[in-house]
Amino acid sequence: MSGAVRVRVTYCAECGYEDQALGLARALMLEFGSGLAAIELIPFADGAFDVRVGTALVHSMIREGGFPETASIVAAVRLALG
Amino acid sequence: MDRERFSSGLTYDAYKAQMTRNREKLEANEAAVHLSDEDLAAFRRLKEPLHVVALAEEWCGDVLANLPVIGVLARESGTLDLRVFLRDENKDLTGRWLNQGQYESIPVFAFFDDRFTEIGVFIERPASVTAERKARREAIHAADPAFGPADAPIDELPDDVRARLSAAIAKMRADLVPWANDEVVKELRAIAERAPAAA
Repeated sequence: MSGAVRVRVTYCAECGYEDQALGLARALMLEFGSGLAAIELIPFADGAFDVRVGTALVHSMIREGGFPETASIVAAVRLALG
Repeated sequence: MDRERFSSGLTYDAYKAQMTRNREKLEANEAAVHLSDEDLAAFRRLKEPLHVVALAEEWCGDVLANLPVIGVLARESGTLDLRVFLRDENKDLTGRWLNQGQYESIPVFAFFDDRFTEIGVFIERPASVTAERKARREAIHAADPAFGPADAPIDELPDDVRARLSAAIAKMRADLVPWANDEVVKELRAIAERAPAAA
């Protein structure tokens, strides 16, 4: 693993999406260990739950209409890691 | 849905009692619900009570905003029999009322007559509320070039700019609450008035 991949989770704190953000972060930590450069949790508003892997926005609640499947985020990270 | 299953749901007060988080937010929203005499009269005119299945989860912002509206409406009108079911523990019900046929959006308020024939369903929030928030969000972005376009990635904004934008959006949404509550009541009333009991 290159370890150069950074994951950012932007979540709506106003909506109470902390559990989902923490759940995803925990799953990535357990799956990839020290293989990621960073996992960033960014509190925001307006119903956001966006996940960026490297430079690619792999999930947007506005675009997809819901929370992401953890497996799909894990797959996106694995692809980015090469 | 039948009477036995319906009765297994939580009353509004029981739902609040079992909440482990966000109860204060829900109750603050409840205190902000004001029903017009005309709207209340429309519900009180129903010839028999309507049964309302609500699907909810305590982490959802739209539940915290809109469940109190129907909770107050049920209490004040006396004609809505409201039972709350937890979305993630009642997947059979969740699958019955998917948003746009695919999303498990909540809250869901499904109305039934006394024979448990479905009359109509409210999902998530009125389209008018979504549209008004979008228009105001675009206006916020237009008013400050630092925010960039409304559809630009939030996480790429500098931290201080993102904090300002977050505060502006939170204020916008708070300002809209009374109007948004009225829009919810309008949609619920339109469903209730389709019931035979409204004739």
